[in-house]
Amino acid sequence: MQMWNIAWRNVWRRRRRTLITGFSIGFGVLLAAIFTGMAIYMYGNMINASAATGFGHVTFEPIGYSKAPALDKRLSRVDTLREQIVHENGVDAAMERIMGQAMFATASKTVGGMFLAINPQHESAEYNLLIRSLVEGKVFSDKNAGGVVIGKRLAEKLNLRIGKKLVYTTTDVNGEIVSEIARVSGLFVTGVDEIDGGMALFPLRQIQHVLGYHADEATLIAVMLRQQRHAESSRDVFRQKYHDPSIEILSWQQTQPDLAGMITIDAASNYVMQFLIALLIAAGILNTMLMSVLERTREFGVMLAIGLSPKRLFWLVMAESYWMALIGLVIGIVITSPFYWYFDVYGLDFSSLLGDESYTVSNVLIDPVIRMKLHVIHVIAILSAVFGLALLSGIYPAWRAGRVPPVESLRTI
Amino acid sequence: MSQALANDPKREDIVRLVDVSKIYRQGKIEVRAVDNLSLEIDTGDFCALCGPSGSGKTTVLNMIGGLDIPTHGQVFLERRDLASLSRGEVAAIRRDRIGFVFQAYNLIPVMTAYENAEFVLKLQGVSAVECHTRVMTILKEVGLVGLEHRRPDEMSGGQQQRVAIARAIVTRPAIVLADEPTANVDSATADSLLDLMQKLNRQDGITFLFSTHDKRVMDRARRIVRMRDGRIESDEVQG
Repeated sequence: MQMWNIAWRNVWRRRRRTLITGFSIGFGVLLAAIFTGMAIYMYGNMINASAATGFGHVTFEPIGYSKAPALDKRLSRVDTLREQIVHENGVDAAMERIMGQAMFATASKTVGGMFLAINPQHESAEYNLLIRSLVEGKVFSDKNAGGVVIGKRLAEKLNLRIGKKLVYTTTDVNGEIVSEIARVSGLFVTGVDEIDGGMALFPLRQIQHVLGYHADEATLIAVMLRQQRHAESSRDVFRQKYHDPSIEILSWQQTQPDLAGMITIDAASNYVMQFLIALLIAAGILNTMLMSVLERTREFGVMLAIGLSPKRLFWLVMAESYWMALIGLVIGIVITSPFYWYFDVYGLDFSSLLGDESYTVSNVLIDPVIRMKLHVIHVIAILSAVFGLALLSGIYPAWRAGRVPPVESLRTI
Repeated sequence: MSQALANDPKREDIVRLVDVSKIYRQGKIEVRAVDNLSLEIDTGDFCALCGPSGSGKTTVLNMIGGLDIPTHGQVFLERRDLASLSRGEVAAIRRDRIGFVFQAYNLIPVMTAYENAEFVLKLQGVSAVECHTRVMTILKEVGLVGLEHRRPDEMSGGQQQRVAIARAIVTRPAIVLADEPTANVDSATADSLLDLMQKLNRQDGITFLFSTHDKRVMDRARRIVRMRDGRIESDEVQG
C-alpha cells in the first residue's frame, strides 16, 4: 500500500509532464478508438449491405450452390426450415429467396442481369437493400402478387416506366428456356451500378411458377443475425443442429469471399498503422519515464541505502507506470467519449466530396457518412492494449532504476 | 588500531575491514580512494573518521554500508562478509542493521517527516500500530513533535537532518553511518544534533561512525581515526 501511495505522489511531482504524458496516452486511446471504430462501422455496414442484397449473414443453400449457382439446385421444405431457423438464438430474420440470372427485354432493348425473388411478408427494408432503396412506385404486397421492381438504370436502359411491361427470360428447373411478362411496380436506386442497371425483384410465387419449383422450394434461406460478427459461430451452431447432407450452411465470409478478403487486408493494414502509432506513443512514454527515473537517481540511491531492495525499487517505478497508464486511460476515455458520441450520432458526412458519385467496394455500396461503432470487447481490447503498452514502456526505466549501484546513485547530484 | 583498544578484553567489533582497497577509474587514470586499509569498529563506539577531502572517508563508509564493493580485501559487518551476500541480502542488512545519515539529508521529498521516519519500518513489515508508537517516540526524541506532517521542503536544514537521524535510528540499528552530518547546518543545530546522537549512543548503545572534518564532531568522538590518501594516518581514543 505504501509503495502505491509513494508512486502516486511521485507521478504528480511534475504535474505538467504527467498531464502531457497522460494526454499522449489518451491520444493513443482516441486514435485507436477512431481507427477501430470507423473500420468496424464500415465493415459492418458493408457486410450488412452485402447480406441484404442476397445471401444474408448465414446462408442455407443446396450443396455446391455458391461455387456453381444454377437454378436446378434448390432447397425443399423451406417454409418449415425457415420457421425453425427464425426462432434460433441470435437470429433476427430468415428469408427464403430465389436468385438467378435472366435477360430483361422490352420491345426496344434487351439487357442481361440478375433477379431476386422474395416473400415480401418475410422481408423488410432493413434486411433487403432493394426494398430499402425504393424511389418510385411500390413493392408487391405478398408472394402471390404479380409485378416486378427494377433498378432505375435498368428502367432507363429498357426505356421502362412504372406500369409498363417487362419480359424476362431464364432457364427453368429442367434447363428449358422460359419467358414471362411482369408489370413494373416500382424502381430502386441503391447507388451500385451493377445492381441498379441489372437487377430485378420479383414475388417468390411468380418465380417459383416460372421455374417449375414447388411452393416450398427456393434456392436459399438468407439468415440475418442480430450481430453479424457472430456469423461464423452461428454457422457452426447451425451445422451441428441442421445436419442434412443436401444442405450447405455458409457464413458471409464464404458466400462473399471478395468482401471478406478485402476486409481482412484492410483490417491488417489498419492494425499495422495502429501498431506504428502505438510505437510512437510508447517511445514518448518511455522517454518520460526514463527522464523521471534519471532525474531521481540520487533519491533512488538513498532508498536503496536505507534498505529498499532493488526488486522493490523496480516495482515502485512500475507502480508509477501503472498510475501513469491509468491517468492516461482516464484522459483517453474523457477525450474519446465526445468524439464517439458525435461520430455515433452524426457521423462525418463525405457526400459533398463524392458529389453524385457513389463509392463501392466489391460491389457493396460504402456509406458516405462515416460513423464509429465499438462493441464492449473492442473497448476492453483498446484500453487493455494501451494500458499494457504504457506498462511495457515502464519496464526498462524500472529495470534501470533497480540496476544502478547505490553508490553511483548517491554520487549523482 | 590504538594500543588501548587492542588491549581491551571486552571489546567486540561490529565492523571489520581487512586489507581493503578501492580503486576507481577516471578515464585512463586509476584513483586509489582507499589503499590497503584495515580497521575495526567496536560495538557501542562513537567514532569519527577524519581527514581532508579525497582522503577516502566516504568510500570507507559506503563499503561498510554495502553501498560500494572493495576492489581488494574484505568488509565484515557483524562478522558477515558483505562480499559473500547477494544484493538482496545486503539490502536487507542495510534495512535491518544499518542507519544512514547523509550530509544533504536526502529525505524522500514526497513524504512527510512522519512518513520518512516510518518508511524503513514499513519495509521491515512492522505493524501500523507499532510503527506509529515507534515513530512518534523517535520524533519526540529528536524534537520534531508537531512537525510530523511537514514535507522536507517545509522544514529547515536542521529539522530535515533531525528527520534523517530519526529515520536512521527508528529501526534500532546496530550501527549508524553518518557522512558529514553537521556540514549543512548551523553551529547551534550541529551541537544539538551531536547532543542527540551522543545521547542515543550512551542510552541505547547504538554505534556511530562519522565521516567528518568538523571539529565539533571530533571533539565529541570517543575515537578519532585520521585518514590521508586512502590510508589510516592515526587512530586515537580520546579521554
